[in-house]
Amino acid sequence: MRDSFAAYHPLINFLYFALVIGFSLVLTHPLAQGIALVCAITYSVSTTGKKSVLFLLKYCLPMVLLTAFINPAFNHEGTTTLLYFSNGNPLTLESILYGFSAGTMLVTLLLWFTSFNRVMTSDKFIYLFGKVIPALSLVLSMSLRFVPKFKTQMATVAEAQRSIGRDIYSGSLWSRTKTAIAIFSIMITWALENAIETADSMKSRGYGLKGRSAFSIYRFDERDKYSLIWFSFCGLFLLAGTMQMAFGFRYFPNIRYALLNMTTIPFYFVYFVLCITPVIMNWKEERKWKTLISEM
Amino acid sequence: MKRIISLIITIVILLSFTACDGSFAQVDLKEPIAIPENGIIEKSILDKMKDNNAIAILTGESNGIKYEWTVFGSDLEKTRDVNLSLDLNKTETGLKITFAETEDFGFPALLSIHLNEKWTADSAIAYAGDNHVYSVSITGSKTSILNISVHKIVAVCEILPDDTKFSESASSTETNSSENTEQNAGGTNKTDDYLTDVKDSDNRVYSDGNATDQDKYKTDPVPEGKPLPVEPENQEINNKKSYTCTFSIECSTILNNLKDLDSDKRELIPSNGVILAPTTVTFYEGESVFDVLQRVCKEKGIHLESSWTPIYNSAYIEGIHNLYEFDCGELSGWMYRVNGWYPNYGCSRYQLADGEKVEWRYTCNLGKDIGCDWMK
Repeated sequence: MRDSFAAYHPLINFLYFALVIGFSLVLTHPLAQGIALVCAITYSVSTTGKKSVLFLLKYCLPMVLLTAFINPAFNHEGTTTLLYFSNGNPLTLESILYGFSAGTMLVTLLLWFTSFNRVMTSDKFIYLFGKVIPALSLVLSMSLRFVPKFKTQMATVAEAQRSIGRDIYSGSLWSRTKTAIAIFSIMITWALENAIETADSMKSRGYGLKGRSAFSIYRFDERDKYSLIWFSFCGLFLLAGTMQMAFGFRYFPNIRYALLNMTTIPFYFVYFVLCITPVIMNWKEERKWKTLISEM
Repeated sequence: MKRIISLIITIVILLSFTACDGSFAQVDLKEPIAIPENGIIEKSILDKMKDNNAIAILTGESNGIKYEWTVFGSDLEKTRDVNLSLDLNKTETGLKITFAETEDFGFPALLSIHLNEKWTADSAIAYAGDNHVYSVSITGSKTSILNISVHKIVAVCEILPDDTKFSESASSTETNSSENTEQNAGGTNKTDDYLTDVKDSDNRVYSDGNATDQDKYKTDPVPEGKPLPVEPENQEINNKKSYTCTFSIECSTILNNLKDLDSDKRELIPSNGVILAPTTVTFYEGESVFDVLQRVCKEKGIHLESSWTPIYNSAYIEGIHNLYEFDCGELSGWMYRVNGWYPNYGCSRYQLADGEKVEWRYTCNLGKDIGCDWMK
């Protein structure tokens, strides 16, 4: 599915991710965590397909299990003792559940951030923050861009070196190590020089100077306006809910939580709708597109 | 557009003002309530506490001595108007309490009396005539606080510092045992205290008070007449020889510092501050306080978390009954006292002897509030 949510105004994209990432960090209620996880999975699977399913199975599932497994080894707090370790410390139910919760939160955040990286490209980021915090947003977008750029440049350099006989794939271990070190040294020099060059080039264009405008193709449409209202409503509503402990949940020393009732359910519902909004937007756009095609 | 926005804002504001019943089962801590002149606390106040599962502190003063009652809403069953005022009079030997209330409250309440002086005793006992009516634990840093769990009301009682102090009764046995030690351990006692192999429970090595330096595990010199630390790795436990000692675990200092307590932990606090009432336990020759604590906690189902600390060659007790270090202020944690003395080394290095009285106590002020004087 095409990600038409990414085509919304950068402010909308940023606001959405700020909200979902923020609430995923703060809310520890298993139901809220479940909602966030399901929505994060749905969003990333519906937009990136097979790749993210593989990523989920390969890395995310083991990560949840690992934290659930490791946490009780270091954390012995909790009133429900299941059994005792050899050093006499108890294994508690609360610490296992807390491990699960922490693992789920980690995975959810990971998924949100991969989507964030895909949607919030560096030009969007600079567009949003270039005026407010020019230096920081340049540094941020440069460092975000650095890793993929470094990887491609490394491949290029390795190829070039290979053509003059310095192959990192053949030869003795010693010669291969030597070549790898040489390539790495080239890369460091390149990275430093590249950073200075970029900074100089940005400066010479007058980046961050007063009165300068930057070209952007973003327009704040009617749909962006409604999305803005919707997201700010969700943000305020959920903030009020959090402050009233509608999502209250504590793991230690014993498990205590806010009950689900007529006053708390609306908060969970709004949280779910907030998290799933981009998927709904994409689905609506897709349907519109298909009807348009069929009408032609 | 403006209408939509104002509508949203109204909804949000309305929602945040409606008391959302996200009932979190938190135990409320009420602001201290001053006991009125006539001393009567009305039934309605107690009913409210019962319904909210709250903890209330009720304060009063008599003859310049402040006192406070700590009442747990969870303890209240039948409520009625109760008279909580007291008449406190200092006597030559102790403190005389006259209760204004004549009938039992119907619920346990903790009475803390903030004295204007320091009592040196480890504990105290309240007598009505010749009858022992309450056991009193003494806390407080510069001035003493007497903590009494009141179930039954006696018209008048007198609190006397516990003179059958362990340090005195124990010192006689200590002299006996140190004589034994000298006979058995002989010269080794003087040449190298710390490497002496202790084989018998009654044959511990006692400090002569001459040491001036820290030992290799950073322990300051042990006061004269007190047992020297033993190293757990050298201890052999002899399952054939068993002895008994008394163990107790209490946290009454938390009741005097409830406002510093982590609010999540409030419901763990027993209303009289006692987690384990003094219990006689069996131990085997060569076992340390830590070994026995671990076993007692396991048997009684009390939560215990400890961590081995190589630098002190001992286990460190992080939390008992889910009450951890730093849970009640940054100077709080667990300490142990044996026969009225707080050993200045870890509990894995204290070898128990027959008939000793071990108390695990929670401190909120580095031990100063529970009568430990060596912590700086």
